[in-house]
Amino acid sequence: MKLRHIGLVAVLALVAGGLAGCQANPPVAAAAISCAAGSVQGQGSSAQTNAVNAWIRNYQVSCPDATIEYDSTGSGAGLRAFIAGTGDFAGSDSPLAPADQPRADARCGTGPAIHLPMVVGPIALAYNVAGLGDLRLRPATLAKIFAGTVTRWNDPTIAADNPGAVLPSTPIRTVHRSDSSGTTDNFTSFLAATAGGDWAFGGASTWAAPGGSAQRGSNGIAATVARSDGAIGYLEASYARFHNLATARIGNGAGEFVALTDEAAGRTVAGAKSAGDLRLEIDYGTTAAGAYPIVLVTYEVVCQTGTPELVKSFLTYTASPAGQAASTRLGYAPLPEQLRGRVAAAVTALG
Amino acid sequence: MAYGGVVPAVIEATRNLTRSVVQPETPVRLRLWAFLVVCAAAALLAVTSLVMSRVQDQVRIIGGEAAPQAATASDLYFALSDMDAQVARMVLIDDAEALSGSRIDALGTYQERSQQANEDLQRSLSTATGAADRALILALLDDLAVYRQWVWQALAAETQAPPQPPGKLPPDALGYYTQATNVLHLDLLPAAARLRDASEARLDRAYADKRVTETVGLGLAGLLGGGLVVLLIILQVWLARRFRRIFNPALSAATVVTLALVLAASAVLVVQGQRLAAARSDSFAPYLALSQARAVSYDAAADTSRYLISANLPYYKEDFGRKSDSLAAFNAFPEVRDRWATYRRDHERIVALADAGKAGAAIDTLTGIRRGDAAFDFFYFDAAAGEVTAARKQDFDVSLREAERLLTGWEVIPLLAIGLVILLVPLGVRKRLAEYR
Repeated sequence: MKLRHIGLVAVLALVAGGLAGCQANPPVAAAAISCAAGSVQGQGSSAQTNAVNAWIRNYQVSCPDATIEYDSTGSGAGLRAFIAGTGDFAGSDSPLAPADQPRADARCGTGPAIHLPMVVGPIALAYNVAGLGDLRLRPATLAKIFAGTVTRWNDPTIAADNPGAVLPSTPIRTVHRSDSSGTTDNFTSFLAATAGGDWAFGGASTWAAPGGSAQRGSNGIAATVARSDGAIGYLEASYARFHNLATARIGNGAGEFVALTDEAAGRTVAGAKSAGDLRLEIDYGTTAAGAYPIVLVTYEVVCQTGTPELVKSFLTYTASPAGQAASTRLGYAPLPEQLRGRVAAAVTALG
Repeated sequence: MAYGGVVPAVIEATRNLTRSVVQPETPVRLRLWAFLVVCAAAALLAVTSLVMSRVQDQVRIIGGEAAPQAATASDLYFALSDMDAQVARMVLIDDAEALSGSRIDALGTYQERSQQANEDLQRSLSTATGAADRALILALLDDLAVYRQWVWQALAAETQAPPQPPGKLPPDALGYYTQATNVLHLDLLPAAARLRDASEARLDRAYADKRVTETVGLGLAGLLGGGLVVLLIILQVWLARRFRRIFNPALSAATVVTLALVLAASAVLVVQGQRLAAARSDSFAPYLALSQARAVSYDAAADTSRYLISANLPYYKEDFGRKSDSLAAFNAFPEVRDRWATYRRDHERIVALADAGKAGAAIDTLTGIRRGDAAFDFFYFDAAAGEVTAARKQDFDVSLREAERLLTGWEVIPLLAIGLVILLVPLGVRKRLAEYR
């Protein structure tokens, strides 16, 4: 009898062992965008256009009943249109001016107009210098280079930032934008805030310093730096990366020279104080450890209440890890996780 | 005397031995039976172990080598097709500020695809089995270097030339681009297709080898397993008659275990064979066909750009039509097919605009991301095409894992089962033998 049991157990064991693989779990569906339907429009900052366009494309592919449009009209025009009641959201490089906030609130009716930081755009300093694989520049040195007071790569000012480096006597060829651009505004504002007396040209979207080579677009800067020995130029991080250009480590307020990475740019944003809602005060002279200081944060301005469901759904996606990853692919840095969480919560709270 | 005494003794011993073999006494006969059964069991063990481990190996070769090689070769074709599509976009857009987003997207995608092609080639080279394949891959690497050189010359010539009206290329840039796209279409893509064909042939062979093992394995397992069961039954019948004991638990158990082993092994062989054959015909073959169609769709969409770049060269219009007509793999997926039809209409509108001399409007429609613009509609099509393609690959991977799971443990199962049978046989005859001591 006992042996019969063993036999039975053996049969069961064999069949169970052999056919155990017959049932397979169905694959888990990937997390999808939660769609809303309709048609909305936004306008404003051109600095965030590439990110917003990629988001619109991804959102519309997932949500066939949604149509979103974004016109790259510039921050000022975008905010004016929003206040005037055209457009469901505005993209802006800077928060609403104190005088404009009440007018924007009035346009929104029951609730205020709020700022949602959404896109972080780091600016790189790309260079092309013989034998120089690692370049460190503090803001004052950078200002002297772009103001034309430091003219050769072996200048003592540069040597002081790069102890131990063998610097060539190659003339420095600076490259700047010939067109009006947010990148120029951000870079010159950084110099004005951090270089003190070494930068006398203030911050503006049109290049004001003498000398240097003027080029159209970040693409023109990238191409010119790539083909000119001794060149240095400022450009959006993605262009330096995709054109395989070397980029400088920039000195921050803590006295460190920090290479441009998503994390380093994120530290500057994470260290910014927030005033009121989620308006950030980016400190170009940040003393946060490991922070890369030349970054631009752009916002979406929306009404706290009465925002169309589609805008809310769209911004839920843009503030999600998947949305931030989509903009990172284009050279933007993702929002630091803690701030992203706050932005996502603010989007959820929209009425 | 002594001599005379030895001969009869030898004759007697020989006679005894012969009698014991021809007309064996019961204990000898019992031992002989037991020995025969154990020998048959050992043979069955050898065959099942060998067949199962060989099938395991062959499934590993299919899942770990042949199928990934075919997938890699297919991915290489896709990556190369898209590289040139992105170059066409970059060349067309140049440094138009309004389209800078589209250009940086194209450059980024070009770099990604370029990296993807590198990885595919490295993987192909490290898994290539023949000298011919290796030579093909090395030639691909050389041609890819030449291709990249022409691409950068085209882009550099364009950047250095004075600004041109929309859609108009500096002559040098057009010349270099023609070189690049010729290297891609006349050298790289045909070589990638040959590599893909070779890897698909290897997959065919791996499947055929496995089918042979399964057939031979099923035959041998049936023959030896059946033989062992028959021997066990005869032994039991004989024991029942000889010793008047109807039931021998140990030998009955051995019979059941043998039957179970043979049935389970045959079931596993048949089921995994069916699963993997179905996985190939229902998932992997469609995956390769869809992947190929997707690569062709990228190349066709790039013809829209090439038509504008080349100042309306009819060749690209015809080439688009040819490629578009060859996308039959998408017909099984109405959504994908319809989305391609939408892109095709966009293409025709762009060609009509270009033919009417409205190059600026043609470029806007081509690069626009609104619904109804070509860039969006292509992305919309590709999202659906990518989804159905990836789903087939995922189905295949799932089936492969199932087949592997089905074969899990079969290194030891025959040993355990037959080990048990070999233990049970002496156990079954021990008491009967003891009656003779």
